[in-house]
Amino acid sequence: MKEISRRIGFVCALLVLVFTAFAWRLIHLQVLKHDYYQEIAADKHESRQVILARRGRILDRNGEELAVNIPVQMVYADGSRIHDPAALAMVAAPFLDVPVKELTEKLTTKSKYVVIRKRVSEEKAQDMIRALEKANLHGLYLQEGSVRSYPNGEMLCDVLGYVDHTGHGADGIEKTCDRELRGQEGFRMIEHDRKGREIMVYRGQEQLPENGSDIRLSIDMGLQAIAEREVDEAYKTNHPASATAILADPNTGEILALASRPNYDPNKFNEANLEQMRNRAISDMYEPGSVFKIIVTSAAYNEGIVDDKSRIFCENGHFSYGGKVIKDHHGCGDLSVSEILVKSSNVGAAKISLKMKDQMFYDYVRKYGFGTRTGIPLPGEISGMVNPPHRWDMLTKTRMAFGQSICVTPIQMVMAMSAIANGGKLLKPKLVLSKGEGSAELQEPPVAQVVKAESANFIANALERVVSNQGTAQKISPHGGYLAGRYIVSFAGFFPVNKPRIMGIVIVDDAKLGETANYGGSVAGPVFAKIGEKAARHLDMDPEPADSVSKKDSSTSAVSVR
Amino acid sequence: MSVNRRRTTNTIEVNYLAGGLTIIFLFALAGLFFVYLKNQQHAVGNQSRMIEASLREEEARDDALKAKITSMTSRGALQRRMDDGYITLQAIRDTAIARVTPPTLAEVDGVLRTASHDPESRFGLGAPQRAINR
Repeated sequence: MKEISRRIGFVCALLVLVFTAFAWRLIHLQVLKHDYYQEIAADKHESRQVILARRGRILDRNGEELAVNIPVQMVYADGSRIHDPAALAMVAAPFLDVPVKELTEKLTTKSKYVVIRKRVSEEKAQDMIRALEKANLHGLYLQEGSVRSYPNGEMLCDVLGYVDHTGHGADGIEKTCDRELRGQEGFRMIEHDRKGREIMVYRGQEQLPENGSDIRLSIDMGLQAIAEREVDEAYKTNHPASATAILADPNTGEILALASRPNYDPNKFNEANLEQMRNRAISDMYEPGSVFKIIVTSAAYNEGIVDDKSRIFCENGHFSYGGKVIKDHHGCGDLSVSEILVKSSNVGAAKISLKMKDQMFYDYVRKYGFGTRTGIPLPGEISGMVNPPHRWDMLTKTRMAFGQSICVTPIQMVMAMSAIANGGKLLKPKLVLSKGEGSAELQEPPVAQVVKAESANFIANALERVVSNQGTAQKISPHGGYLAGRYIVSFAGFFPVNKPRIMGIVIVDDAKLGETANYGGSVAGPVFAKIGEKAARHLDMDPEPADSVSKKDSSTSAVSVR
Repeated sequence: MSVNRRRTTNTIEVNYLAGGLTIIFLFALAGLFFVYLKNQQHAVGNQSRMIEASLREEEARDDALKAKITSMTSRGALQRRMDDGYITLQAIRDTAIARVTPPTLAEVDGVLRTASHDPESRFGLGAPQRAINR
């Protein structure tokens, strides 16, 4: 009996020991090593699923879509879940357009994240997943994404820019409004089963994404198409190094069209070179030539230095000053200020500039916005080049009066001309009308009242009679001086003259026409005229009475400086 | 010596047994119900996951189709088709346009139209009231 009790005691003690060991192990796993094992488990089953925000669209002023998103899927492999790479490759390869052998090699991995193919269409990706489920194969998964598409191709590429492979805007409005367009991506904490499927019951914290805002531009695609077509034709006909056209509303500063050649297709930005991608309207500077005479005349008129009765002796087109001779195309005697603009007299403009103090002239040039970035919401804008009076020599002021010794950008010229058209107010160029659906239009106050409305109207009225509305300047050599036989010609104007609605400029750089034919009026002028005519029709402008028809398509600037 | 065997017999406490069994049964039932509910939860979760996926799929397909429509009807695409001769612009002579009223200039509201159906612009201000009174 005693023996039996001893044995029972022994077995009981053994059992107690065993269960104590089990209990201790349990405590060790569940309590002491809790955090460690929980982390391993979480790492295996939990993940943070990113919910992508939809990038906002870019629209023109009438709601026409200029940049949209196409949903695509990225296919990646999780090597830890692949049991039979060959079988998986056999099923998936036809959907991914990858050879089976190559795919098998890629799938033979232990890595948990191997990108197999980017930008797979939604349809193909879903078909592939269904085929894999049917064959009971695992290891290939999808990651949502989208690619940016520009339905109009090359049209308006300088304004729109493009989105790079990381999904960030890399140029144009895509870059400057990237924050608004991109939105804020969301996330959710999920747990998945051994097949990689989400276990909905254990869905954790969730934050929904904020989709990006749509950006409505001031661009009118009707006018843009007109400008593109005419610039394209000029580019093909005259074979210039570049051609640019800008149309703006002089009353609001809204940019209505901006076309430039050479250009590129933002859908294939990888194939474009830097020359094609440069936005010449804001990043190229040129000597404006005779167009600049309006600056000196309006400034002098505004200061009361000249008035509508003033007569300037134009030296019969041959004015010696500072050891150099300033020449006119057609020699003239006494001319009024209006006539100086009408006949585009370099001598007259130079003489008016000499009546002004250096600092005063310089201040007006700066007040018109030259030498300062306009603030157009596009990347890469330059400020042009305006030297201060202490760096001038004796000739600088007289040269500046007819658009030499100064470099401006096309957009600066458009905004300065707009000030003449709208009663003297310099406006900031406006490219974005609103950000987000239903949001109020963005308002921009005038930058400055450059000249009195009376002065602006005086110049505008004088420009009505300008027959030859052109500017021509010789190309500057990078080594100093001018390049022989190479010219940048421009033509600027606004219409209708009584109530300007469109301000435009056309610039053609180095047209291959020879020295005798390369003038603003003969190269850039016809392009401007065609754009103006079509734009007037597009905007359904009321035809003016016969006696004022000539006013409608006339405007600014003067004859060649040559 | 005779032994009274009846004294060694234990009585079964049916009441206690029934109570215990009932409690065990209730616990088991609760457990089963819990498992059933958990299964249901997972099944519904799966369903909602599939619905979410199919919604996402439909949305993506819708977006893809919209993008396709946009690219096919974009100004650039239409221009290319016009250049290739697939479509042409046919000018309509002014005399061939029936104008219900004198055309309103686009300058007024930015909309280009050939005919106005707005009663106010058709009859002038105040005219609709006169028409109703008659």
